[in-house]
Amino acid sequence: MGLGMLASRVIRPTAAKLSRSSSLHFIRPIVSTPETSSAQSQPQPDPTPDPPPPSPRPPVGGARVHFPNPEDAIEVFVDGYSVKVPKGMTVLQACEIAGVDIPRFCYHSRLSIAGNCRMCLVEVEKTPKPVASCAMPALPGMKIKTDTPLAKKAREGVMEFLLMNHPLDCPICDQGGECDLQDQSMAFGSDRGRFTEVKRAVVDKNLGPLVKTVMTRCIQCTRCVRFATEVAGVQDLGMLGRGSGEEIGTYVEKLMTSELSGNVIDICPVGALTSKPFAFKARNWELKGTESIDVTDAVGSNIRIDSRGPEVLRILPRLNEDINEEWISDKTRFCYDGLKRQRLNDPMIRGADGRFKTVSWRDALAVVAEVALQVKPEEIVGIAGQLSDAESMMALKDFLNRMGSNNVWCEGNGPNPDADLRSGYIMNSGIAGLEKADVFLLVGTQPRVEAAMVNARIRKTVRANQAKVGYIGPAMDLNYDHQHLGTGPKTLIELAEGRHPFCSALANAKNPAIIVGAGLFEREDKDAIFSVVETIAKNAKVVRPDWNGFNVLLLKAAQAAALDLGLVPESANSIESAKFVYLMGADDVNMEKVPSDAFVVYQGHHGDQSVYRANIILPAAAFSEKEGIYENTEGCSQQTLPAVPTVGDARDDWKIIRALSEVAGVRLPYDSVGAIRARIRTVAPNLLNMDEREPATFSASLKPDCSQKMSLTDFRPAIDNFYMTDSITRASKIMAQCSATLLKK
Amino acid sequence: MSFTRRAVKVPPNSASLEEARHRVIDFFKTACRSIPSIIDIYNLDEVATVAELRSSVAAQIRKNSHITNIKVIDMLLLKGVEEFNNIVEHAKQRHHIIGQYVVGQKGLVLDSGTKDQGDSNFLKNFYNSNYF
Ligand code: SF4
Ligand code: FES
Repeated sequence: MGLGMLASRVIRPTAAKLSRSSSLHFIRPIVSTPETSSAQSQPQPDPTPDPPPPSPRPPVGGARVHFPNPEDAIEVFVDGYSVKVPKGMTVLQACEIAGVDIPRFCYHSRLSIAGNCRMCLVEVEKTPKPVASCAMPALPGMKIKTDTPLAKKAREGVMEFLLMNHPLDCPICDQGGECDLQDQSMAFGSDRGRFTEVKRAVVDKNLGPLVKTVMTRCIQCTRCVRFATEVAGVQDLGMLGRGSGEEIGTYVEKLMTSELSGNVIDICPVGALTSKPFAFKARNWELKGTESIDVTDAVGSNIRIDSRGPEVLRILPRLNEDINEEWISDKTRFCYDGLKRQRLNDPMIRGADGRFKTVSWRDALAVVAEVALQVKPEEIVGIAGQLSDAESMMALKDFLNRMGSNNVWCEGNGPNPDADLRSGYIMNSGIAGLEKADVFLLVGTQPRVEAAMVNARIRKTVRANQAKVGYIGPAMDLNYDHQHLGTGPKTLIELAEGRHPFCSALANAKNPAIIVGAGLFEREDKDAIFSVVETIAKNAKVVRPDWNGFNVLLLKAAQAAALDLGLVPESANSIESAKFVYLMGADDVNMEKVPSDAFVVYQGHHGDQSVYRANIILPAAAFSEKEGIYENTEGCSQQTLPAVPTVGDARDDWKIIRALSEVAGVRLPYDSVGAIRARIRTVAPNLLNMDEREPATFSASLKPDCSQKMSLTDFRPAIDNFYMTDSITRASKIMAQCSATLLKK
Repeated sequence: MSFTRRAVKVPPNSASLEEARHRVIDFFKTACRSIPSIIDIYNLDEVATVAELRSSVAAQIRKNSHITNIKVIDMLLLKGVEEFNNIVEHAKQRHHIIGQYVVGQKGLVLDSGTKDQGDSNFLKNFYNSNYF
């Protein structure tokens, strides 16, 4: 910075002189903006009037300060206004609290500090040079000045250096319009450059089917490198070379095999890393954003669906500190092309020749109602799919009950789910609450593929608190330090009886957390396993009044709401004697169990596995097209909003069931979303407390003892292919490419 | 479209509601008189009778019977004359005439509603579209 300082000393008087005598100059000087020079020529107002007024500006982005202990507060002055910040904050954070947004490229609040872009320079009184505010801790009484001529000149200089090697391809760059470099060069850059030489060019890297690279655009902020090592936990990306030869890349030709890799697209401040499926599809200002919820796993990540007309063009994360912070998994981000393939758009009946024939809704519903009224009530079975919203599950249950059947359940919840105690199927400590834990015991769950965002939380905790992780299940690569304790129930028994070395870690832990996978719901001996886990929990004091570390990690978006609404089958084997099977988007049901003379109705949005067996198809809306409540694995209910219109002649799920009930003569008493929600309120009021986590009231200790025999077969992975778990992702071409290239062993 | 411009002269505004009414009735009469030749031009005798077309023209006019603003009536009349000229000058094709005047506004769906009788509004709307 010595050189910059020198340069500014040299230029400043000249600039001031030149702007005053504006006649005939032959060289085009690089000057600061006119206000800068005039501000410079005027005497500065006294920056610290006594006493300094508090900052009149609200904090950037509504940031709030939390003081762990009040005596740690220090006072700094930003542009002459005093702010109180906790000790250890950086100058940049102090400025944010004072309401001043400092331009930055390399600083990111969730990553470590690199301090290598120099865009965040500010002036601090009594320092000889401008300081990089993101890397400088705030000290008591510091007088920070963010809009002095020196700071402005420094920013202009940095911008000029950055643009020196940045290509001028904004018109064909996908980042255009949401590019930090573009915005900041407009706001802080100089209006001309002195660069006449040739720009450098960098070879593009192949990072796989999701991330497109144009490495010439890279400004070496290293955000992507820090993200990959710190959050995603893959040491694939790195920095090669020095000076103008500096390049980002994988050291050897290698794909980025992380389930969070898509997030580097968001954090890259320029267009060096962009989305490959979205490349050249649209400009971001043409898109309509709809705030919605992801349904591809049970985490319920907050997303924004960007659409143009009837087409979903991309999915971006939305900030939610309690659930997904600001990341989403690759499945969430890139499954959207599945919404355009294999869609069901008309009601269809299978004819005598085994082919589907398009019919009108009127005829389709008449046929379904006729068949349903002919069979005995106990031969009617209804199964809700893993993507169902709470409204449609409520309607399905009410409809079947009115038909006289009680055999209704949600796939993934197993043959005899236990819906009585809510604490037995939700994540009691909450996703954000996992950060308080210091020992984790993962039982039959592989969070990396089952819930990538929960895995990112565990990783964060392991990195921040050196939390210990013990894992029971089939061998797998979790991307943090862990001990593989065993592969099945045998290890569980050892732990329960205190014979295992990991017991001491559990016993000494302050906040131990046990996470049980919902894959175990499918096992015959599920109750026995759960009672052993509860013994372990009791021994390690996992459930206390101030801390509940007993967690169940669900797999599917509909599971929690289904259990809350009481979608529990009357008998576990009802499907084998069924004559009328109503599948509401259920594709993972074992169709071989259904008797061959049963009449199968498939209501759903994709022509997936179950359609091969269906006798009649009723087209429904996908999550991007309807308003529906989903409850995630920690018991927080959120709702999706329609981003695009429905396809063809499809209808919302609950409307289909409501219409069918009328045709069948057992009319359901609700005609609108509001009315059906009022019905839900009488069954599970917590589903209507939107965006709020509803903890379970009773804990598992109230459970009766279990006398089931535990089998010693090992736990199996609940998900074989992270990228393809439901009808939408199975229809997606991008997900198919990912499974082909990234899962190769 | 020079012939249209020739044919449609913008007449002076009607002075009173009575005058506007007479103009409309005159227009209706002219239209009725040319229905046989229209049937001839467009080969409509297999699909429509003179009486049907006459009542279809009358229905188009009655659709606006509630309008009392003279200027609006004049404007609608002008549009009607324009349309009429297009038809008699064969500026339209057979399917235009069939679509607009023979099959009518209701479209091809001959749903007299006996099937949906007794259904709730919800079900009726449900059969129409997803958005209600
Ligand atoms: S690729 Fe993007 S995020 Fe990575 S260093 Fe370059 S500019 Fe930064
Ligand atoms: S943001 Fe401070 S140096 Fe990059």
